[in-house]
Amino acid sequence: MKFAFLCRERPGAAKQRVAVIGSGPAGLSATGYLVCRGYEVDVYDKLPIPGGMMTFAIPKYRIPLDSIMEGVDELKSKFSVQFNLATKVICGERHDEGDELATNTVDLLKLVEGYDAVLISTGTWRSRRLGVPGDDAKNVMSALEFLLNLHMVDLGLRKSHIGSFKKVVVVGGGLSAIDAAEESVLRGAQEVYLVYRRTIKEAPAGEYEVRRLMRMGVNWIELAAPKSIVVENGSARGIVFQRMKLGEPDETGRPRPVPIPGSEFTIEADTVIAAIGEIPTPPIASECGDLAKYVGKDGRISVDKNYRISGRNIFAAGDVVTGPSKIGNAVGQGLRAAKEIDKFLSARILAAVPR
Amino acid sequence: MEAGSSLLRAIDYSKCIGCETCEVVCGFIHELGPFIKLYELGGGVKKPISCFHCSKAPCIEACPTGAMRKDQYGAVYVEPSKCIGCMACLYACPFGIPELSEVTKTSTKCDLCRDLRREGLTPACVAMCPTRAIILGPPRAIGDEVKRRALTKIVYLGELK
Ligand SMILES: Cc1cc2nc3c(=O)[nH]c(=O)nc-3n(C[C@H](O)[C@H](O)[C@H](O)COP(=O)(O)OP(=O)(O)OC[C@H]3O[C@@H](n4cnc5c(N)ncnc54)[C@H](O)[C@@H]3O)c2cc1C
Repeated sequence: MKFAFLCRERPGAAKQRVAVIGSGPAGLSATGYLVCRGYEVDVYDKLPIPGGMMTFAIPKYRIPLDSIMEGVDELKSKFSVQFNLATKVICGERHDEGDELATNTVDLLKLVEGYDAVLISTGTWRSRRLGVPGDDAKNVMSALEFLLNLHMVDLGLRKSHIGSFKKVVVVGGGLSAIDAAEESVLRGAQEVYLVYRRTIKEAPAGEYEVRRLMRMGVNWIELAAPKSIVVENGSARGIVFQRMKLGEPDETGRPRPVPIPGSEFTIEADTVIAAIGEIPTPPIASECGDLAKYVGKDGRISVDKNYRISGRNIFAAGDVVTGPSKIGNAVGQGLRAAKEIDKFLSARILAAVPR
Repeated sequence: MEAGSSLLRAIDYSKCIGCETCEVVCGFIHELGPFIKLYELGGGVKKPISCFHCSKAPCIEACPTGAMRKDQYGAVYVEPSKCIGCMACLYACPFGIPELSEVTKTSTKCDLCRDLRREGLTPACVAMCPTRAIILGPPRAIGDEVKRRALTKIVYLGELK
């Protein structure tokens, strides 16, 4: 991915400085645009390698690492972008997934002060929990935790902290669920179940992907939702599911799954993976001046139509603004936000010229 | 890239994951775009399609005003000042690629990012595709790459992993 696809070199000497927080597709695309407009860009990321979900969640057989690194290396060597990795940016305190890999912490407000503009593109690094009794057992994890661990091991960055997985139950019907189930099969799990509370027609990953996994040997169970986890000595041994039927459409327009009383059944498991959605993780975890009021209940940052927190030098783009989406959406958000940052900073230069 | 040597773009649909990056970057740099677009084919399968820049382009043959042209690299493009928006090109195209712009009232389509190529840059969709599904180069090099990729699906390389 040639993030600086709009120019061959930086036009002239660097004018102003921008900090990009989060080096997923949104942050890296914004960085590419900004260096082509002549800005000096410093990137901050809590993980030790740039690329966000593309590097640490999506399997490498779908996105090769060198496709991302080619663009990152060009940003470094040709455009002098400085990557501050394993550096978590936060105002206040909050633990998100992957934070254990950060060795430094930087205060968001320091960056806001120290740079002409700041872009927040920190994605969705917290997972929804199953919310049933026993979901804190030690072999119950999120898809993000499961996939991040596999990537870390493959990249040689750490030893696996997940025991053997022979009987895996994945709960969910989106892309994360597909990836967790497929990786389990590819890495030798003997039995893999994919359990979704609606039907294959409603699965966000699409019927094609579900059927492809069924062909690989994954057991697809639809219209069932977890009710509790069977825990022995702190470890999950299985999940109790309850059958569902489709009811009236809910707020999302999809039919609501309605539990059928007395329909419980149990699936044995040595690994339980919750793939039921990720939550935005903006680097704002306390009042932070008045910044907290721009973070919604669902964790998303609200910005104006110019991707800006009105009146401030703070912009935001990508899944931290929209909630979980796709790479294309994150790239587009990053590019459009960068264009607005350029407009904002150019206007500031003009305003500073005495008349 | 030397003038006169033609360019071929190919989309490797087995690598494409339908992430929409191509469509988004194309739309970002072209006010009238995007000129590469994804369509859902059912069951959540979404893939992009764009102009094939045919060697014997029927749209050029069908254009009554000479607005549909080919540049020195073989990229088929519209010269808007000559275009009357009759869309004969659309009728002629076996893939239904040209579109009538509501803004300019002329035919619009992919020109393989002429503006970027003039500066020695790569078309945006090719440059930004995360999976390297979209490739561009001289026809022979593209032919070789496509066959090399096909081989990796046939020949067992497991020992190297
Ligand atoms: C398992 C899985 C599979 C997916 N498969 C696909 C697919 O096939 N196709 C598709 O189009 N999309 C897919 N997606 C979605 C896609 O990955 C995201 O939409 C996209 O990566 C969002 O980009 P982003 O830049 O907004 O955020 P991210 O990619 O999440 O990047 C955010 C970055 O910010 C960093 N960060 C977070 N908090 C902080 C902090 N406080 N300080 C410093 N750094 C921080 C993170 O380390 C990360 O590098 C998938 C997602 C998942 C989880």
